[in-house]
Amino acid sequence: MGNLFPNLITIGIIAISMLIFSTFTLLAFNLTNLLKIWEDKIEVIAYLKRGTPSNEVEPLIKKTRLLEGVEIVRYISPFDAMAFMEMKLGGQKTLLQGIQPAVLPPSFEIQLKEEYRNSTKIKEVVTQLKKIPQFEEIQYGQEWVETFSVLVHILRLTQWILGGLLLIAIVFITSNTLQLTISSRKEEIEVMQWVGASPGFIRVPFYTEGLLQGLLGGGLAIFFLFLLHHGLFLNIPPPMEAWLTKIPVLFLPMETIIWILLGGMVLGFFGSSVASMRVLKYR
Amino acid sequence: MDEAIIEMHHVYKTYPNQISALSDITLEIFPGEFTFIAGPSGCGKSTLFRILFCAEKPTSGEVLVHGMHITHPGFKKIYQLRRKMGIVSQDFKLLKDRTVNENVAFALEVTGHPPKEAKSKASEMLSRVGLEEREKDSILALSAGEQQRVAIARALVNLPPLILADEPTGNLDAKMTLEVMEIFTALHQKGTTILFATQYTGLIKRYSYRVIQILNGQVWNGRKMDIHKGREVKAGE
Repeated sequence: MGNLFPNLITIGIIAISMLIFSTFTLLAFNLTNLLKIWEDKIEVIAYLKRGTPSNEVEPLIKKTRLLEGVEIVRYISPFDAMAFMEMKLGGQKTLLQGIQPAVLPPSFEIQLKEEYRNSTKIKEVVTQLKKIPQFEEIQYGQEWVETFSVLVHILRLTQWILGGLLLIAIVFITSNTLQLTISSRKEEIEVMQWVGASPGFIRVPFYTEGLLQGLLGGGLAIFFLFLLHHGLFLNIPPPMEAWLTKIPVLFLPMETIIWILLGGMVLGFFGSSVASMRVLKYR
Repeated sequence: MDEAIIEMHHVYKTYPNQISALSDITLEIFPGEFTFIAGPSGCGKSTLFRILFCAEKPTSGEVLVHGMHITHPGFKKIYQLRRKMGIVSQDFKLLKDRTVNENVAFALEVTGHPPKEAKSKASEMLSRVGLEEREKDSILALSAGEQQRVAIARALVNLPPLILADEPTGNLDAKMTLEVMEIFTALHQKGTTILFATQYTGLIKRYSYRVIQILNGQVWNGRKMDIHKGREVKAGE
């Protein structure tokens, strides 16, 4: 009972540390998911030079289709482009009155194979497209995709650096609390050593305590993260709700939750091992 | 003759502050012997005992207990050694939050015996030391002599062939000392090897057991000390 307070403090600190780490994991998970959704929608638009003869279009489509990473190529004529703009403008299509379709350049909408829908692979396709002289300009929203993937990368890096620091903190805290517990049971441990209890027998209860502290701390972190996720992301005002339906804000998958719980247990165990090595020497 | 149960060869112990606790100790204890380790307080008796049950390492020299080279750097199985010996000390080392029976049974439980068996064996041992009526009492309800008897019962419950008793009567009055000595004598008669440290010459004189005299960390049997010169009196002096 005397050890209840330090144990609760340890569990609380582990929970806070794991909550910080889990929050970053959740953020990184959702942003990666978002990046994946956007990457799936990535397509390359190759604008043809004005005046490209129409008899060159079909062979060019075939040539483009043969490029590595290309899945579908669709030709968008200036008339198709005009029709698309009218559809997008809806009731305000009158704005386009007086504009001739000829001012809009013809283009190819190129859909990529799944494995090429990321910022690195897309560049390989774009490099090949740039070598084709009939194309004037290639667009694929590269800045947006690149910036976003850098952001996700930084977030992941922060998550692991922070995770490393928190890991050291958790081991330090668990080991110190367990040293207090061991000190409070000093007499009992001394008698155990006198009568020949094996070192494993003496250490097992402390290892178990460390494992439990880690498991409870990890469990609490997941629980609070769940409340936070529900509170912040799901009870949102209606105007934001409409916006968020396009961007799903997911909770951590079960596999990640299990990893976090196991991580907490491993850290708790490691903390208790450090404490045992320091103060449970057989004497 | 049987092989010695304890062998110490040229054992030295010097603490980091350069205080020499033991100097060139060589001795042998044979199975079934009752041996007094005699000497004044601070002469090195406790250090000798602590080396025998591996609580301390000697600075140099070789020690064998039950044939195990306990001073060998690779010796790690201290717990196996301690299961073959019972340790009794002046300060009892009993768990105050447990009953008399629980204290004795504890020694068996932590070495892998089922709790029921441990309790029954503890009861048996407590009746051997005359405490069958106090089994369920708290340790704090016992007199010092009774507490020492519980400590002896705990040391014996594993039926060890060797008992190391470091000043077990140091905190007891004359009557209680005799009660405890009766238990040790009975044990010795049943064949247990006993190494008994004491500073009371009166107690040693009552029994005709072997005595190893320790003085200034050395074995002084048959030697004389000139307390004015602070050294041994040589033959012919």
